[in-house]
Amino acid sequence: MADPAVMGSHTLNLGMRSATNKASTSPAENYYLARRRTLQVVVSSLLTECGYESAEKAAVESLTEMMQSYITEIGRCAKTYCEHTARSVPTLPDVVITLIEMGFNVDTLPVYAKRSQRMVITAPPVTNPPVIPKALIAGQKRTHPAHIPSHFPEFPDPHTYIKTPTFREPVSDYQVVREKAASQRRDVERALTRFMAKTGQTQSLFKDDVTAFPLIAARPSSIPYLNALLPSELELQALEETDSSEQDDQTDSENNPGNITNDDSGVDKENSGLTPGGVVPTVKASEENMIDNPYLRPVKKPKVRRKK
Amino acid sequence: MNRKKDKGFESPRPYKLTHQVVCINNINFQRKSVIGYVELTVFPTVVNLNRIKLNSKQCRIYRVRVNDLEAPFIYNDPTLEVCHHESKQRNLNYFSSAYTAAVTAVDPDAGNGELCIKVPSELWKQGDEMKVLKVYIEFSLDQPKGGLHFVVPDVEGSMAERGAHVFSFGYQNSTRFWFPCVDSYSELCTWKLEFTVDASMVAVSCGDMLETVYTHDMRKKTFHYMLPIPTAAPNISLAVGPFEILVDPYMHEVTHFCLPQLLPLLKHTMSYLHEIFEFYEEILTCRYPYSCFKTVFVDEAYVQVSSYASMSIFSTNLLHSTMIIDQTPLTRRCLAQALAQQFFGCFISRMSWADEWVLKGISGYCYGLYLKKTFGVNEYRHWIKEEMDSITDYELKMGGVLLHPTFGGGKEKDNPTPHLHFSIKHPHTLSWEYYNMFQCKAHLVMRLIENRISMEFMLQVFNKLLSLASTASSQKYQSHMWSQMLVSTSSFLKSISNVSGKDIGPLIKQWVEQSGVVKFFGSFAFNRKRNVLELEIRQDYTSSGTQKYVGPIKVTVQELDGSFNHTLQIEENSLKHDIPCHSKSRRNKKKKIPLMNGEEVDMDLSAMDADSPLLWIRIDPDMSILRKVEFEQADFMWQYQLRYERDVVAQEESITALEKFPTPASRLALTDILEQDQCFYKVRMLACFCLAQIANSMMSTWTGPPAMKSLFTRMFCCKSCPNIVKTNNFINFQTYFLQKTMPVAMALLRDVQNLCPKDVLNFILDLIKYNDNRKNKFSDNYYRAELIDALCNSLTPAISISNEVRTVDNLNADVRLILEEITRFLNMEKLLPSYRNIITVSCLRAIRTLQKNGHIPSDPSLFKSYAEHGHFVDVRVAALEALVDYTRVDRSSEELQWLLTMVQNDPIHYVRHRILSMLGNNPPFTKAAESQLCTEALVDQLWKLMNSGTSHDWRLRCDAMNLYYTLFGLTRPSCLPLPELGLVLNLKEKKALLNPTIKPEQPVAAPELPAPMTFSAEEEHLVMDTPPIPVPPPSQALKRKLDTPLGSPPEPGQVLQDEPSIKIPMKGRFPTQEEEDIDMETVHDSQAFIYHHLNMLERPSTPGKEPPSVEQSLLSMPATPMPMPMPMPMPMPMFSKESSSSSKHGEHHHHHHHHHEHKKKKKKHKHKHKHKHKHDSKEKERDGHAFSNSPASGRSMRSPSLSD
Repeated sequence: MADPAVMGSHTLNLGMRSATNKASTSPAENYYLARRRTLQVVVSSLLTECGYESAEKAAVESLTEMMQSYITEIGRCAKTYCEHTARSVPTLPDVVITLIEMGFNVDTLPVYAKRSQRMVITAPPVTNPPVIPKALIAGQKRTHPAHIPSHFPEFPDPHTYIKTPTFREPVSDYQVVREKAASQRRDVERALTRFMAKTGQTQSLFKDDVTAFPLIAARPSSIPYLNALLPSELELQALEETDSSEQDDQTDSENNPGNITNDDSGVDKENSGLTPGGVVPTVKASEENMIDNPYLRPVKKPKVRRKK
Repeated sequence: MNRKKDKGFESPRPYKLTHQVVCINNINFQRKSVIGYVELTVFPTVVNLNRIKLNSKQCRIYRVRVNDLEAPFIYNDPTLEVCHHESKQRNLNYFSSAYTAAVTAVDPDAGNGELCIKVPSELWKQGDEMKVLKVYIEFSLDQPKGGLHFVVPDVEGSMAERGAHVFSFGYQNSTRFWFPCVDSYSELCTWKLEFTVDASMVAVSCGDMLETVYTHDMRKKTFHYMLPIPTAAPNISLAVGPFEILVDPYMHEVTHFCLPQLLPLLKHTMSYLHEIFEFYEEILTCRYPYSCFKTVFVDEAYVQVSSYASMSIFSTNLLHSTMIIDQTPLTRRCLAQALAQQFFGCFISRMSWADEWVLKGISGYCYGLYLKKTFGVNEYRHWIKEEMDSITDYELKMGGVLLHPTFGGGKEKDNPTPHLHFSIKHPHTLSWEYYNMFQCKAHLVMRLIENRISMEFMLQVFNKLLSLASTASSQKYQSHMWSQMLVSTSSFLKSISNVSGKDIGPLIKQWVEQSGVVKFFGSFAFNRKRNVLELEIRQDYTSSGTQKYVGPIKVTVQELDGSFNHTLQIEENSLKHDIPCHSKSRRNKKKKIPLMNGEEVDMDLSAMDADSPLLWIRIDPDMSILRKVEFEQADFMWQYQLRYERDVVAQEESITALEKFPTPASRLALTDILEQDQCFYKVRMLACFCLAQIANSMMSTWTGPPAMKSLFTRMFCCKSCPNIVKTNNFINFQTYFLQKTMPVAMALLRDVQNLCPKDVLNFILDLIKYNDNRKNKFSDNYYRAELIDALCNSLTPAISISNEVRTVDNLNADVRLILEEITRFLNMEKLLPSYRNIITVSCLRAIRTLQKNGHIPSDPSLFKSYAEHGHFVDVRVAALEALVDYTRVDRSSEELQWLLTMVQNDPIHYVRHRILSMLGNNPPFTKAAESQLCTEALVDQLWKLMNSGTSHDWRLRCDAMNLYYTLFGLTRPSCLPLPELGLVLNLKEKKALLNPTIKPEQPVAAPELPAPMTFSAEEEHLVMDTPPIPVPPPSQALKRKLDTPLGSPPEPGQVLQDEPSIKIPMKGRFPTQEEEDIDMETVHDSQAFIYHHLNMLERPSTPGKEPPSVEQSLLSMPATPMPMPMPMPMPMPMFSKESSSSSKHGEHHHHHHHHHEHKKKKKKHKHKHKHKHKHDSKEKERDGHAFSNSPASGRSMRSPSLSD
């Protein structure tokens, strides 16, 4: 009794699967073929039981088809019966009714199952059940509220009905912000200086471990005061943000020196270049022309017979 | 020497200079050379002017013409090598006198000069007619070491692109270094200056720029300057470089120059100069005397500020951007100083060196007025107090500073400053520190005069001087008129008495003609019965650097009923002063208490003594005496004074006093001051440090969080999260300074284990961590630097297991955190350098502190790399300071050598100067202690350095002398072996032995001496030293010494021998026997005596009083003028030996002490001279040699030969 039941339920399941999985993915098809092969084995063994030495392939195939149809019909009917009685899972009586309905003498079944010459069919090789891609579970599923009976379907995943933020809420706590800013800056600085130290020459405070506290080597510069006096770009940026007007003013007239240094290049160019640009500062030329400062006056050309 | 008379000015020269042309045709930056000529227009003032002496140093002179006739000339500069190199002489006394003699030999104020031109005989006749002579001199300079400084950065590009520039510099009158001239402040003339420079460069010089003309090849241009206002050569300067030009937007005749790329900084820095101009012109009611003014900012400047006629040269490091707070007031001060010196110093010059104090005083005083106006009365009074403290500290430590030295007048005053190891006769022989203190004292004395005659009169006097000078300056050459532009002490005093009608003679006598400050000790008692305050004011006028004060003194007493001023008279013997009190004991009713300024305040009077109405007492509150006051009053009085007295000086004094009263009440008073934002910020900053100190003293009873922590949190941290500091906002400078200072002071707190409390350290680390300057308008670099200083302050000595090597693994956890911060800061500086690299400076200091405290291995290599040329100068100085410290702590001769090499070779004069002065302040060893560093080689090296290695820079030479003094003292260094041992020892054992041995030697030594007759006597003595004599065992000698009546330390025999013979005549000669007796006791002294006698030198009348002074006076004696053409520098070899030998044994052996003892105990003094007599004797012998070779003598012989 146990065996047919196993078989039955097995086949039932198979049928159901094939029904749902038809025309679906290839692993499911493989499964279908495997089941078919198993059925063929079953048919063949039954034939052997009945004393056949051999059988034509087409005959076996037909028999298999018949058997499959039969089993499928049992499953379908059993399911119908169970649904008819407002249930979702068929029970044994459903199957029995089905068999009776199909004209099978149910009473013979136990005897048949216990027949002595029965051939045991090995279980089909276990194939990996098709992996059902797991639905992404986002968040905790809600449980039913008290007024909904527990047998009702569960709530779907929360993400299907709650708003899902795509970015993190900015932390607005002052302390945390400062903390973050501080540590971020520190990390950047440390990483940067470490990098510089790793890639360049270093000095060390310890003789035993030169890698501890590496100091970027001091490198003399030929014009040390420029770096030391001029505000760094970073500071200039900050300054521009706070007070841009004044800054503009300053950068404007910076062109002045350029003109002076260009003078060496060409003698001819010098004269033309100097008078407008070199001596009179480029900006506010009109205003500064008014200023009588000897350093703004044009350079005179040498007199014809000048002693040097 | 220049005699100063009340009537006019007498030139020391037989001619008068009226006009000088300086023309520099070529400046080669590549070779660092200069070619040019000068032409001096000279009016003879005597008939037959046959020689003209001019000043010129390091110039190569090609030809000299006088009125187009070739003129022979002789060039001799005795200051190049002060003592002959072969001289074995090594004592500073000797050197100092030789140096002074050398400087005198070329001193323009004495009519001397290095360059002596023989006027062609054809022109002699012209002298009769007083016709003009034109002296034309062609010269060149090649790689000048002084006078002109070339800055040529080693980068690609043309000289202009590289920012190469050159500028003149010098300490006092140093123009002779770059062109021949009469290098005196008293010789005025008009000037024509021409400089031909590369077309890409600008030449900035004194006077009006007339025009700029291209040369024919158009590659160069010539700048023509004319200075019609008579000006002394030392006030002429030059700066050439590819400068950026900024015409002052407020004053178009003012032009500013800076190096390429710095124009934005220049604009900002100069934006307030016009205010300073306006201020001075207003108070002096006088227009700026020159028709234009130029400021030039140069790299590698010698000093921060130097003023010349119508231009000033500044260090480029004074430039700053709008974001920098701390530098701004400093730069403004420098500008104000420079401008004040334009009026007094450049426009108005001085007659002689002795009048320098007037110029420095007036310009310093005017500068003070500017400070008062710009920065406020609090800042001004704070500054006056600071200056007063520094001058009193200096004088009490080093001896007096004399503003107006008089020489040669009275014989007694031969050397007015016997306590100094240098002569104050010339500016060029002064130590730099002394000169700074001199300037400081000068302006303080001016302020005293102002107190006496009122500011109104004071300004009238200045105005009078200026208007006289400007009238004179517009005159054509008339020697008498031009001398109106020279100020002298007497003319200044005369103006004062004319204008104010007051006699300030006593004041001048006290502070100007006399050195020293006053030291008061005050205490009081309240007599309840009489309701009288019994004030006792004592003085210490016997210690060095002090003087006795007699005269009025103001005492302010704050009583319950108000504040009352009392003027007491300090007299000879009266110590006690009774001051009646106004208030009748203590009132019950609560009433407001009136303060000095009229304000009435509520006070909690519970702390005060119920019987006394006195709240606090102040002595000389207006600082109208140059004094140091140590006043005793109860702690609660100091606390009242701190809380309620409105004068910042009083507040600062009380803070200093409260350090001695670590009580909860003091703590409360200080905390209240800290919190009071109406209080002057510098007082609050001072209170921080006092509070830290008090907290440490009260450690066991201290309650609550560490001092200042909660206050800082309340003021600067976020309300919501008190552990996080607010983002920086430095818009309020007072709180900014407080915010900077508090962590530094807090880091000084210590717990019972004498460690910095953990939460303080974490607090500072948090400040660093959360420091956020993004929203700030100002740079936070100084703030960050001070946070590093705070970390550094928190360090305490590591607990070290003996011989443990410092490794990373055994690093203390806290120190690891500190080190991480320092490392990060230092590395970030490479990527984002801070203004003036101030953070690097702090990091270097912190690293040195870590080393010194034994947390990390002591290692100089890091500092060496930062000290190299090519780093910003502040960084270099910080690194050098660490190296100097390392040298001392580790006694490393290698590092000392390294430093000294840098002194000799570094291209930047300022750095060389700083190395020597830092070595002097933090010496690797001193004369008092023995050290393996003190070697003969080092002595020779230093000697060479000051003898010839620093001839191009007066300041550096004096620095070297200072260092030599610190290391070895005045006498022969103790580490030197004595040339010949035997002689000395023999002498000690028996005088008789000496004579025979010595005499035969004499002839041998004699040939060495090229000395003139005057020297012969000395030579003899010296010669005696030389003979080698078998050496008796030192121990014997030692004993001998103790026993000898003379009790002198090891001396060369000859001296002893000489002694008797000389002594007798001396006694006869000199009435001041006591001194001589003293001197006789030590052989050295006797030697000195002899020498003294021979030279007929004067010594101060009272050297005997002060032991040190004797020695000093001897030292300086040679400096005094002599009958001979050249003063002979006479060393006192014997004298010096003793002290050098004694120095090994500690201070008590110092020969001053000998004198003392001798006086008292006569012959019984027992010095435990366990040292090497041999050395001493050798030393003496050497000295003897040197003496004979006496450099100055040799030189002087040579140079005058010309004139003969």
